[in-house]
Amino acid sequence: MKILTTRKSPIRWLVPLATVALCASLGAAAPAPGAQGARMSKHAERGVTCAQCHGKSTKKDGVPMRRCTGCHGDTKDLAARTAAVKPTNPHENRHFGTEADCNRCHHEHAKSENLCLPCHQRFGFKVP
Amino acid sequence: MSQEHLQEDMEPDPYTKRVLEDGLSRRSFLSRAAGGAAAAGLFGMSGLPASAAGTTETRGSEFATSSDGGATLSFLPKPKPIRDREIAERLTFDVVVVGAGASGVPAALAAAEGGAKVAVVQKAPFALSQGNTGSGVDLATSEKAGVEALVARLIADSNHRCNPKLIRQWAYHSGEAVRWVIDRARKGGATVVDQGSPVQRAILKVNGYPMGYVTSFFGPKPYTTGDGMRALAKTAEQAGVRFFYNMPAVQLVQARSGEVLGVIARGTDGKYRKFLAKKGVILATGDYQNNKAMSDYFVPDVKHLGRKQLDKTGDGFALAYWAGGVFEPIGHTKMLHDFDAGPASMCDMPFLSVDRKGRRFVNETVEMSLLNNYLRDAENAGHYSQIFDANYMTQAAAWPGKLVPPEGLKNYMPDDPGPKKGVFESQVNTHVADTIEELARKLEADPATLVATVRRYNEVVASGKDSDFGKPADRLIPVVKAPFYGIHRRVRVSAICSGMLVDENHQALNGDGKPIKGLFLIGNLGGGFYGGVDYPLTVFGLSLGRCYTFGYLTGQHVARL
Repeated sequence: MKILTTRKSPIRWLVPLATVALCASLGAAAPAPGAQGARMSKHAERGVTCAQCHGKSTKKDGVPMRRCTGCHGDTKDLAARTAAVKPTNPHENRHFGTEADCNRCHHEHAKSENLCLPCHQRFGFKVP
Repeated sequence: MSQEHLQEDMEPDPYTKRVLEDGLSRRSFLSRAAGGAAAAGLFGMSGLPASAAGTTETRGSEFATSSDGGATLSFLPKPKPIRDREIAERLTFDVVVVGAGASGVPAALAAAEGGAKVAVVQKAPFALSQGNTGSGVDLATSEKAGVEALVARLIADSNHRCNPKLIRQWAYHSGEAVRWVIDRARKGGATVVDQGSPVQRAILKVNGYPMGYVTSFFGPKPYTTGDGMRALAKTAEQAGVRFFYNMPAVQLVQARSGEVLGVIARGTDGKYRKFLAKKGVILATGDYQNNKAMSDYFVPDVKHLGRKQLDKTGDGFALAYWAGGVFEPIGHTKMLHDFDAGPASMCDMPFLSVDRKGRRFVNETVEMSLLNNYLRDAENAGHYSQIFDANYMTQAAAWPGKLVPPEGLKNYMPDDPGPKKGVFESQVNTHVADTIEELARKLEADPATLVATVRRYNEVVASGKDSDFGKPADRLIPVVKAPFYGIHRRVRVSAICSGMLVDENHQALNGDGKPIKGLFLIGNLGGGFYGGVDYPLTVFGLSLGRCYTFGYLTGQHVARL
C-alpha cells in the first residue's frame, strides 16, 4: 500500500476545527497572499486562491465538500482508486458509503486526522 | 389503559409532572434565568451548519454552565429564522420524518401505508441503525399477568422514573410492530429472522407467569439493523415514501401559535429546502452522544468514555427545544456495552476482571452494562479485561451465560490469522498467552500489576471466601493453568436513551405540559421510556423494539390526523 506521509503542521497546538474556522475568517477578511491562512496551505502554494475554496462567504463556515469534488472529482472514483488499501478502504465504509465529507479527515490548515481510529484501533491510516 | 381518559383534565401524571418541574425547556430556562446578565460568546450548536448559530438569545448564559465550568448549554440559542427568500425549493407532504433510523423508517412506512404522502429527510447518505436485536411481546403466548409483571420489572429497571404508560404501550403493541418490521424489511431484501422466545431465556417466566416474545434479528454481524433499515427503506420507497439523503434538517417551520408546519433542511449544494407537513413532523434523529455540550450537561458520567456512533449530534433535541419542547431532567439514561471484543454470551460471566492497569475493581457479578460506572475516569475510559485460565470450560460450566470453547475464541483474536465470522473484525480483542506477563502485554495492562492481582485473586479463591469484594464462593475459580485467556473489553456509549417529554401519541409537550401541534418525537429522542442510571438488559433487544414500535404507532397516528 502506498501512503502519503503527513506534513508536520506548524500549528499542531490548535484545535483542528477551530483552526479551519479561524483561517476561513482570516481568509475572507485578508485574502492577500502571505496571510496566515494562505501561508499554511498547500493549495495556496499551488496558486489556489482563498475564494476558490472558501467562496466569498464571511461566515466561519468550513469548505463545503462540493468545492473539494469540483476539482478533485467524484468520491466514487476516489474510492475505486483506494479499493485495495488494507485493512479496509477508507473511502468506502459502512458509515458514509463513498460520501464521507472530505473535511472530516483531511484538513488544509491543520494536521489531518484519522476519523476511524477512535473506534477501529487497528485502522492505522496515515492521512495526507 | 383505562385511567387515560380519567386523567385528561386532571393533574399531569407523576412522570410528566416531574419532567415539567425539573426538566429543561426554553420556558423554564428563561424563567429560571430571569435577571441574569447577558453574556456573549455562546458557541453555535455543533453539528448544525454555522448559519444556525446566529443568536437571538443570550440571556442568562451564566446560568448555563456546570459547577466545574465544563458543561455549557451552547445548544440553547435559537437561530434566526431562515427567510423565505433563502429557500431554494418548497415541497409539501402530509408527513415529514426527520431521520432514517430504526424509528424513522418504520414511522415513514407506517404513515404511507396509512395513506399519507410522506417525505424522509436524512442527514447521512442512507438509512442508518445499529445493533441486531429488536424485541416485542407475543401477546398470544403471554399471560396478561405476565405482561403486567414484565411492565413492573421494566419500571423497576428504570428506578421508577419512567412513564408507565409508554412501557405498557410497548408491552401491548410491540409484538405486532416487530412482526410488521420483519415482514416489511424482508420484502425489501433484508436478512432477518424471528428468534422468538428462546433467546429471552431469563424472562420466559416473569413472577411465575409464562411469556412469549417476538425477537427480530438482523444479522449476524457485520450485517446489522443498519442494513435492515436500508432494506425497510426500499419497501417504504415502493410504498411511495420519498427519501431525501444528505439533507440535514436545520430548523422547524413554526407558526406564531406554536404549531409546527414543516422542516427546513439543507442539501450538499448548500441550498435550503422547505418541507411543509400538512399533518405533522416526526423527529427521529437519534441521541446526542456526539454533541459535547449536551452530553456534558445531561449525562456528565460519560465525559471520558468513548462513543460508538458518529454524527449523533442531537439535532432533533435542539429543534424540539427551540420549538418549546422539554428535556428530561439531568442524569440521562445511558447504554454502554462491548459485545464485540469477545463473545457476547460471556460478557456477564463473573471471571476475574481487572481495570485498564490490571487491578481488580469490582465484584464480578456486576453486569457489563453497569461496569461503565466503575471505569468512567479518564485513565480507565471504559477499558477492562476478563481473565481466565485453561480450565474455564469445566470450572465455569455451571455459570449463567454461554461459554465459547478455545477453538471458537480464535474468532475473537486479532493475533490469530484464521478467518473471522460473525464479528466486527476491527473490534475483536481477545488474547491468549502462556504467562500472565505476556497476557498483560497483549491486554495493554501493566504486567507487574496484573501478576500481583492474579496472585492475590488466587489466594482469595484458595480461601474459598472473597474477602476483597464479596463475590459468591461458587463464582471463584483460580487463574493458574496456562494458557491464560483475556478479553480486553472497552465499554463505549452505544446510545443515550433519555429524551424529550412526549405524551402517549408521542407528541411533544411544551413547558406548560400542552401538546405542541404538529410535532412528534420518537426513537431515542422521545423521553419517558427509561429513567435509570443505565439501560436495562432485562429484555434483550428492548431498545430497537421500542424504536420500531413507537415509529410504527406514531406513523399510523399522524397519518390519521
